[in-house]
Amino acid sequence: MFLELRQVGFSYPQKTSPAVIGINLSLKKSGITAIVGPNGSGKSTLTKLMLGILPASEGQIYLEGRNITEYSLAEAGRRIGYVSQNPDLQLFCASVAEEIAFGLVNQGCDVATLEERVNFYLDYFELAAYRKSFPLHLSQGEKQRLAIAAVLANEPEYLILDEPTNGLDAYRKRLLEEYLHKVAELGRGILLVSHDIAFVDRMAERIIALANGQIQSDSNQRGEGYLCY
Amino acid sequence: MLLDPRSKMIMVICISSLALIYNTPARLLQLLLVTLVLLFIFSFNLRVIAGYLKPFVFLMFFLFVVQSIFSPGDRVILALGPVSLISIEGVLAGATVVLRLLVITAAAMLFTTFSSRDFILGLVQWKVPYEIAFMVSTALRFLPLFRDELKNVLTAIQLRGVDLKKVPWGKKMVMYRRLTFPVVYRNMLKAEQLAIAMEARAFRAYPQRTYLRQLNLQRVDYVVILLSLLVTFILIMRYIG
Repeated sequence: MFLELRQVGFSYPQKTSPAVIGINLSLKKSGITAIVGPNGSGKSTLTKLMLGILPASEGQIYLEGRNITEYSLAEAGRRIGYVSQNPDLQLFCASVAEEIAFGLVNQGCDVATLEERVNFYLDYFELAAYRKSFPLHLSQGEKQRLAIAAVLANEPEYLILDEPTNGLDAYRKRLLEEYLHKVAELGRGILLVSHDIAFVDRMAERIIALANGQIQSDSNQRGEGYLCY
Repeated sequence: MLLDPRSKMIMVICISSLALIYNTPARLLQLLLVTLVLLFIFSFNLRVIAGYLKPFVFLMFFLFVVQSIFSPGDRVILALGPVSLISIEGVLAGATVVLRLLVITAAAMLFTTFSSRDFILGLVQWKVPYEIAFMVSTALRFLPLFRDELKNVLTAIQLRGVDLKKVPWGKKMVMYRRLTFPVVYRNMLKAEQLAIAMEARAFRAYPQRTYLRQLNLQRVDYVVILLSLLVTFILIMRYIG
């Protein structure tokens, strides 16, 4: 298993009820899985726990057999690409091109590959016109595309995308779907967190429904669909 | 202890004034101990205080080193040939700066024991114009926001595979320098959005404002305010006299 969660629980400080409780979950390195559930059901918290951004209050999380607490954030980030539901929090460079190049530059990627990859993602996500723009001046949909492009450019083994279709129009949503399918075909796993049921239906092979911080249904285990919420 | 926000503001002003006037590590250390005792009275525990002070540790260490090296003194501890590097006077100057910073930061924690709304209300009842009170409160509110912003950026950088602990200092400084502009600018955008949102909700559209709550100074508040001002005055007079 690529990611394994055993009896994972987490409570935010000064909150009376826990955000997630007793989560047992295994995710394979390939395939597209989706987590669905109403607002406040613990979806985003769960993804942050998987990456080690938040420390689990209870239980253990393993990334390829090694406890996530033994990984630095950078080590986890190199293996799992993460796009949060608020792209503003992920953009920190002075230009759109720099944002896409950031991870590659710091991994010591050669100049030719760097330019090729940056140009590819700028073109694919239709951001080439904004190459030199300040990322925070972009529209919400453009920021979302940039955050996704910046993570995809690093070519991580696994992707966690929290509400990736937020702010995307139908055409851009289709482009994203096509690209994610291509990524999945290359054997890389994807975990989607989404409210967009149509998107989830088209994309995911496995659907996990969360409610009140607990798993309500898992299409993988029960051989059935997920609970509507 | 339940005190009016204005009593706490007076206490912070008194402690900070003393911290600025005192110029010896011994006096500042005493003041720090008094401030810590006050924080204990207001239900802060050691872990919370350490959590607040942790982000400043590097800055304090840096200031201590710089002050120790650049403050001249006769009693040399460390020298490089004929050039004296660190003297006892330098170390004392460094300790003074660090302790002063610690006292002011610790005292400022008292601001977190009441809401920004009470802060504004307290100032307004002291006849400070609402706009000024609101501006001061917003500035104070933006400080933790700025800290969170930096934290978010550092998390985002690490999630893109950069191990900040392993990046050499020179490279790290270049990286931080390049990140400063986006972080500051992001906060400026937030401030601009806040201004628009406020104006859209009729901020300053009418001369009169309604306040749902009224703060009332109790007897204990008068005692605390008078005692704080009196003790501070006496200590300052004794120090400079």
